[in-house]
Amino acid sequence: MPLTHFQEQIKQALHEKRRLQIIGNQSKVALNHEHQALDMSGYAGITGYDPAELVVTVKAGTKISDLKQELSEHNQMLAFDTPDYGDSTIGGNYACGLSGPSQPFFGALRDFVLGIKMIDGQGQQLTFGGQMIKNVAGYDVARLLVGSKGLFGLVTEISLKVLPLMEEKTYSIEMGQADAIIKMNEMAGTALPISGCAYYQGKLYYRLIGVHPPQSAMPEDNYIWHKMNPFRPEISGKQKLWRVSVDSMHPPIHNTLLIDQVGARRWVVSENKPDVSHVDLWNLHEKTRRPSFDSHTKITDIKRGLKSVFDPYEIFY
Amino acid sequence: MNVVQELLHRLPRDQVIVDDEQKAPFECDGLSAYREKPLAVVLPANIEQVKQTLAICRKHSTPIITRGSGTGLSGGSLPLKNGVVLGLSKMSRILEIDPLARTAVVEPGVRNITISQEATPYNLYYAPDPSSQVACSIGGNVAENSGGVHCLKYGLTVHNVLAIKVITIDGEELVLDYRDDGVDLLALLNGSEGLLGVIVEIKVKLLPKPDASQLIMAAFEKVSDCANAVTNILKSGIIPAGLEMMDKFSIEAAEAFAHVGYPLEAAALLLCEVDGNQYQVEADTETVSRVLKENGAYMLKLSRNDEERIALWQGRKNAFPAVGRLSPDYYCMDGTIPRNQLAHVLDEIERMSKYYELKVANVFHAGDGNLHPLILYDAQIPGELKKTELFGAEILKLCIDVGGTITGEHGVGVEKLDSMCQQFSAPEIEIFHKIKRVFDPENLLNPGKAVPTLHRCAELGHMHVHNGQLPFAHLERF
Repeated sequence: MPLTHFQEQIKQALHEKRRLQIIGNQSKVALNHEHQALDMSGYAGITGYDPAELVVTVKAGTKISDLKQELSEHNQMLAFDTPDYGDSTIGGNYACGLSGPSQPFFGALRDFVLGIKMIDGQGQQLTFGGQMIKNVAGYDVARLLVGSKGLFGLVTEISLKVLPLMEEKTYSIEMGQADAIIKMNEMAGTALPISGCAYYQGKLYYRLIGVHPPQSAMPEDNYIWHKMNPFRPEISGKQKLWRVSVDSMHPPIHNTLLIDQVGARRWVVSENKPDVSHVDLWNLHEKTRRPSFDSHTKITDIKRGLKSVFDPYEIFY
Repeated sequence: MNVVQELLHRLPRDQVIVDDEQKAPFECDGLSAYREKPLAVVLPANIEQVKQTLAICRKHSTPIITRGSGTGLSGGSLPLKNGVVLGLSKMSRILEIDPLARTAVVEPGVRNITISQEATPYNLYYAPDPSSQVACSIGGNVAENSGGVHCLKYGLTVHNVLAIKVITIDGEELVLDYRDDGVDLLALLNGSEGLLGVIVEIKVKLLPKPDASQLIMAAFEKVSDCANAVTNILKSGIIPAGLEMMDKFSIEAAEAFAHVGYPLEAAALLLCEVDGNQYQVEADTETVSRVLKENGAYMLKLSRNDEERIALWQGRKNAFPAVGRLSPDYYCMDGTIPRNQLAHVLDEIERMSKYYELKVANVFHAGDGNLHPLILYDAQIPGELKKTELFGAEILKLCIDVGGTITGEHGVGVEKLDSMCQQFSAPEIEIFHKIKRVFDPENLLNPGKAVPTLHRCAELGHMHVHNGQLPFAHLERF
């Protein structure tokens, strides 16, 4: 499918004063039928990949599973453990800024973004960043739009830094939650080659990469990380799943089912919103919500201003 | 009262510099070919004084040029004649180190190396290490998104900053945190070159020091062999902590300066450092040594201890001053290129060097494709600076042509404004200007830097053309 198809659709929507909702495979957010869909799921494939350059360029509708498969054939990987909710696309996970257990050690999705191609709300094709690991020419729009939920423009292509695939081993230690939080942080301050550190069902799990000293902890199957990421617990009645981001040393929070990212991420199941600063409701059908620009703080003013830079006629819902 | 009188009236007398002689050190940054005297230099000691300065300047519509240690290499903190320099060097306190959470909260004037020094008792350090790290400030590092020799493995500044406190031009205090939902304003502010706000507090990530580090030095008879070795090390599945390449001229200059035992007959020298736990380092050293030999390294040297390792790095870390000794002036370029283009780019630079009759030394952050050609010139010879700049611009054009970028870590500043016109299309540059206006509608924060005006690009006539359409069709041509 050529890019001009999307440009046409955007210009048509401008003309008809209609709104568009960008969708991929709808693994995270379903289509709101009040709006027209701008469907990226068919815009898939790797457009550039030279393993020695440690960079891959993909179309936004590419399934994460397909991308991982291609990279693993060259002994490489996406190092940010981005969760796959079932045919999730790289564009969708970029739009939501989703990273997993390895984030504290290797970085978040945005840390691996090197460049994007996009179409703005007036149908203009734009390129920001590129395929270079280091690039400080112009504002870092490629990283700015990570997490923007498709509200600023249509990101069509993404260049990502990739890393060598490394052998992983998982270990566990049984302990209480409060002790585990301290223990995790202590471990992360050592030279041990950790790539994941979580607390789940009474056990502290940690994952080591490459060659490392012998461990006295209990060996575990690496599969445990797939149970934690994406995290999809059974929820009943009025309970809700909350994704909570805190300082890694934050004390235990009530009703926590999983502690990930060395303590910086807590998954809480409760009726009421936990009382800390960075909390997202993680519904079964709508894992990420549109950012709201309704309040009148300076930060919201800036976000609203930036939205109008890229999408002045509010085409993108 | 004019702006200077009001600054003198409202701020402590010793924190406002108006005397010509005292202003002299603030006339330029590390790009010393460009100089200008500002109206005044203000050195605030705290956030309140930053806000006061901004308010006074805004009232008088006076531009503000924020400055750290003045080590920048692209003229980002070059003063304006009608502007005020806001120097943050007095705001140099480390506010907090949390060893268990592995974070530090610091003021912007703290020097890069000081953070690592203060974290040493906890066996932690701050990873990005620009070569000016003994002098450069962390605030400047964030403003430029600075790199260093270890960024292939440990990332740039943007990867190591967890939160910042920013004062906007209208005096509002914003906290931008990596956990914030929605657009990534923290990433936007990294590398924004003082155009969007004044960064007054920074929370950085601290990393545990590796148990072991091993430096492997390899000498090659052919530059292309060295370039292939770099590619094959990365293909072998190892991400070295540092991977630095020098050409013959740089080797000679560095050896004459630092006397560390670099092989003078080599066409190219590669310094590869692997680090981590002892087990991993041993395995990686073996792999790297094998790959180097397979790719034609005729000499390998492994550092036997930390003293030797640090000594071998000294030559590379001092490559700029070493080259500086050989010439009255030198001009440092900062393009990045895909690594597979290295041999081609070096050949082209050599061809240009003959054409312009100017010598070039090349040092290369080979791991991340960041090339620093140093052009040697003499500013006393009429026309030579101009010739050097043309040469430099041609190198940057080459970087863009092979798929790279005009600046990997030094920033655009005033220096690379023209090259920006080649890298970006008119609509992209317009987006940059609109982003600026969201934060600074009156264009008072470091105006004229980092992003060229569309008019400037049109006058240069080498605007990058999209889809065969002539850019700025609506603008007059001269």
